[in-house]
Amino acid sequence: MATPVLEIDGLSKRFGGVAAVDGVSLSLEPGRIYGLIGPNGSGKTTLFNCITGIERRDAGRVMFNGERIDGLKPYEIARKGIGRTFQVIRVFPELSALENLLVVTRGGLADAEARALELLRFVRLEGLRNEYAGNLSYGQQKLVEFVRVLMRDPSLILLDEPAAGVNRTLLNDLLDAVRRLRDEGRTVLLVEHDMKVVMGLCETVFVLDHGEKIAEGEPGVIQTDERVIEAYFGR
Amino acid sequence: MLVVALAVYPTFGTGYGVRAMLQIFMWIALAGSWNLISGLTGYVSFGHVAFFGAGAYTGAILISKASWPWLAAALAGGVGACAVALVIGYPCLRLKGPYFAIAMLGLNEVLRALVSYFEGLTGGGSGLSLPTLHATVPIYYAMAGTAATVTLLTYLIITSRFGLRLMTIREDELAAEAMGIDTARHKLYAFLLSAVGPGIAGALAARDQGYIEPISVFPLATTITMIVMVLFGGKGTVWGPVLGAVVLFVSQEFVWARFPYLHQLLFGAIIVAVVLLMPRGVLGLLQVKYRLPRTI
Ligand SMILES: Nc1ncnc2c1ncn2[C@@H]1O[C@H](COP(=O)(O)OP(=O)(O)O)[C@@H](O)[C@H]1O
Ligand SMILES: [Mg+2]
Repeated sequence: MATPVLEIDGLSKRFGGVAAVDGVSLSLEPGRIYGLIGPNGSGKTTLFNCITGIERRDAGRVMFNGERIDGLKPYEIARKGIGRTFQVIRVFPELSALENLLVVTRGGLADAEARALELLRFVRLEGLRNEYAGNLSYGQQKLVEFVRVLMRDPSLILLDEPAAGVNRTLLNDLLDAVRRLRDEGRTVLLVEHDMKVVMGLCETVFVLDHGEKIAEGEPGVIQTDERVIEAYFGR
Repeated sequence: MLVVALAVYPTFGTGYGVRAMLQIFMWIALAGSWNLISGLTGYVSFGHVAFFGAGAYTGAILISKASWPWLAAALAGGVGACAVALVIGYPCLRLKGPYFAIAMLGLNEVLRALVSYFEGLTGGGSGLSLPTLHATVPIYYAMAGTAATVTLLTYLIITSRFGLRLMTIREDELAAEAMGIDTARHKLYAFLLSAVGPGIAGALAARDQGYIEPISVFPLATTITMIVMVLFGGKGTVWGPVLGAVVLFVSQEFVWARFPYLHQLLFGAIIVAVVLLMPRGVLGLLQVKYRLPRTI
């Protein structure tokens, strides 16, 4: 077995009395697409925030390519090769679509610009490159956020509900793009509510409920897991 | 053309005219510097006059106690202000929104108290007089150079990725961090750069006036004027602070001076009008409306 890209061990995060993430352990292998599901409020976004350093974990360890990253600052973690999108869109609204991509790069500007244009073309936003990101449609902003993540060439990509609010055509493009990232050897972990998307895309799914990981496995198996069914429908 | 006109102006301008131009240059340097930190990163500094005062005292002390030539003292004023920014930038820039604004206001009060306290060096509350020197014209050029440098620096920053990164802090600091931008370091760099211009301008103004005291170089009103100039002209633009400085200074001199009682009222009304009707300022509005490039 290859070294895991990401290995989380006993990760916990509380907000006051709420255990948002409660002793979660999981491990991601390179070149695969993983799903993270669970009812609203089960801690999916908080788990992302702890991995990316935006929230400080209370307990547990996060290893990225064998190196401990919990405790690092968000920008340090990003530079190590973890990219993410947000559940609520966070493009830079008064930067153009192109600037949104350029700004996260370092090194030669010409190369960065060529890469940014290639990515915008890839999500069919080349014609809108000089438009303020804040003026784009919701789905277009999601795509800008998605390709912005790719500018830094991350080896692990965390997507928080990438399909929500994106129309069908764009969605298919997005799913193809995610598969292509996987084929390039990157690892993707995505939060998604649409089970069809999860079934069609993910090889392994983790299920959270009340901050705890209650199941892990192939999507087909997960769907028939009793604890999972109870978490979704049992209350 | 304009540059040439400004360059030869002192040879034929009246004493009053030269002095007024000098003041305009000073306001351009101050407003432009405030724009570097607050217009670009969105961290609103409510105590920026602290750097003006720090530069004024650094320069005045070097001139009066160490007999430095005024030009060297002016540069030292920039360095002194930058040093103050370095000391307080690290803790203050962790504060967000109103907390940063208030911390900067506090810094200004602390500096004012400090210069009042260390009487031996600063003359305390009774101020510090500089040896007489007739150098308004050379100071005019030095102040013009300072204003031009601040504006050029703004241009270079806004057209660079460094400038775009500063703007991401204004737009969404958390997303910027998550995208690998070291926001703390960027804020600090912008803050240091924003202190240099006021420091130099402060030292030049001290030399020009020949006398400084705590209340004359640390007035809150100066910070507010910088802010209003930038908000009027357009925050985050290259020429907005220049436009704001010229328009507000000229209206103050030539219009409001005739109505001394209305002065404060008009100034207040302009603040309210800009904030309500034109939150982006003149150039910001044009930029968004007509899709103008960032370089205006
Ligand atoms: N910043 C925060 N402050 C307080 N409580 C929070 C915060 N973020 C999340 N929570 C709480 O933590 C729990 C998990 O939330 P979240 O991670 O957003 O869930 P999910 O993404 O699975 O919907 C919820 O009960 C939520 O209310
Ligand atoms: Mg969520």
